[in-house]
Amino acid sequence: MNVEAYIASGILEAYAQGQLSSAERAEVEKYLNTYPALRKELDAIEDAQEALLQRMAIQPKSSVKESLMAEIDARERTRIPSAAETESFNWKWVAAAAIAFAVVSSYFALDYRSRWKTSARELSNLIAQNQQVAKDYNTVNERLDRLEMDLNIVNNPAFTRVVMKGTEQAPSALASVYWNQTSKEVYLSIQELRELSADQQYQLWAIIDGKPVDAGVFDLTKGRLLRMKSVNTGAVTFAVTIEPKGGRPSPTMETMQVAGNI
Amino acid sequence: MKGIFFWPSGNRHDFYIPSGTNFQLSTTHYKHTGEDSLVVALKGRDRSAFAYLYDNYAGALLGVITRIIQKEEIAEEVLQDTFLKIWDRIDSYDREKGKLFTWMLNVARNLAIDKTRSKEFSKERQTGGLEKLVGKIDTQEKIELGVEVIGLQDLLSKLSEDQQFVIDKHYLKGYTQSEISEEFDLPLGTVKTRMRLAMQVLRNLLIK
Repeated sequence: MNVEAYIASGILEAYAQGQLSSAERAEVEKYLNTYPALRKELDAIEDAQEALLQRMAIQPKSSVKESLMAEIDARERTRIPSAAETESFNWKWVAAAAIAFAVVSSYFALDYRSRWKTSARELSNLIAQNQQVAKDYNTVNERLDRLEMDLNIVNNPAFTRVVMKGTEQAPSALASVYWNQTSKEVYLSIQELRELSADQQYQLWAIIDGKPVDAGVFDLTKGRLLRMKSVNTGAVTFAVTIEPKGGRPSPTMETMQVAGNI
Repeated sequence: MKGIFFWPSGNRHDFYIPSGTNFQLSTTHYKHTGEDSLVVALKGRDRSAFAYLYDNYAGALLGVITRIIQKEEIAEEVLQDTFLKIWDRIDSYDREKGKLFTWMLNVARNLAIDKTRSKEFSKERQTGGLEKLVGKIDTQEKIELGVEVIGLQDLLSKLSEDQQFVIDKHYLKGYTQSEISEEFDLPLGTVKTRMRLAMQVLRNLLIK
């Protein structure tokens, strides 16, 4: 834009006199912000106009000022301060303080949240560990009780130990029976027996008067005594066969794994 | 405040003295710190700043209003409305768009023009406005100021006839530039450039 031609057109005088349409005014205001020379010229024009109009002043009666100030005071008494005004007092400081507070609070909130989350995680770990320890303790305790019980049986002179050695089909097999001839209780201890398929079970037999008597079925269990069915006096031999799951009324001789005499 | 130098000294007793302590501040402060601090005080609804504003500008604005309205009683009513509007709307004043006086001038002129369009008011332009009003002002100045200020008539006599014509029509008779263009059959561009040349001459005479 040719600033000098623009100024020479007299548009700034028209602007200062309030003669322009709102569209023209907006255009001048846009240029004022772009060209400092225009701003300077307008300032000079406004000063000249102000000086001229001061020359042409007509003083009002003093009563005009009195009633004006009275009206202002009346308005101020009933006026609700505008938001802009109450803010203008020191809103920057209020905003700065609020932002600072928000930042600090957020930091603490985040910090405490992460601490809380860590604590919560640690606590649930501890609870889980504690449960595991309690379970382990129970397991150990149960085993200990059982071992104590087994030991009582093994050390009890009322129990006769019958060692059953491997047959021809299972030369390395080995198991023992503890039999209390008074109470008729029978316990079995497995040293070496082979794994069975899922549809098979071992069955213990006692031979009384030349006949095999069922003394109960069992699965391969090592490290502890198994309680079997009571066996009446008169048994001379104990033997273990492999039978279909649940056992059979009479033994399958071909599957005999171990046998031993009293 | 360029216009203060010829302020009628006889009117000093009219200054409002606030019940507080800042009378000195209210009358001298803004001369040193300028228009910006006056605007800040006004936006902060400082009563003494408003009194200062009135004392410095009411005369100039009443001159403008009277030349449009032509009736003294109504003109003073409009002047009061003007200052009430200034008080109420000061937050909407934007220095980027012009000086405070220019903004006040527009408020005054718009209210005066609105008044002339109202029902109670029948618009009649007086003939011979320049002579009559200049005469009136000169009489006032002589009474109130003595002779230290150059008379308005002398001032205007420094302008060419064409320039005097547009200044007279606008500043003394309240015509807009378009009205001058239409009524006197002059291209609007011509009115504008004449006005510019006239203002330049006045600027050199008024602002030292």
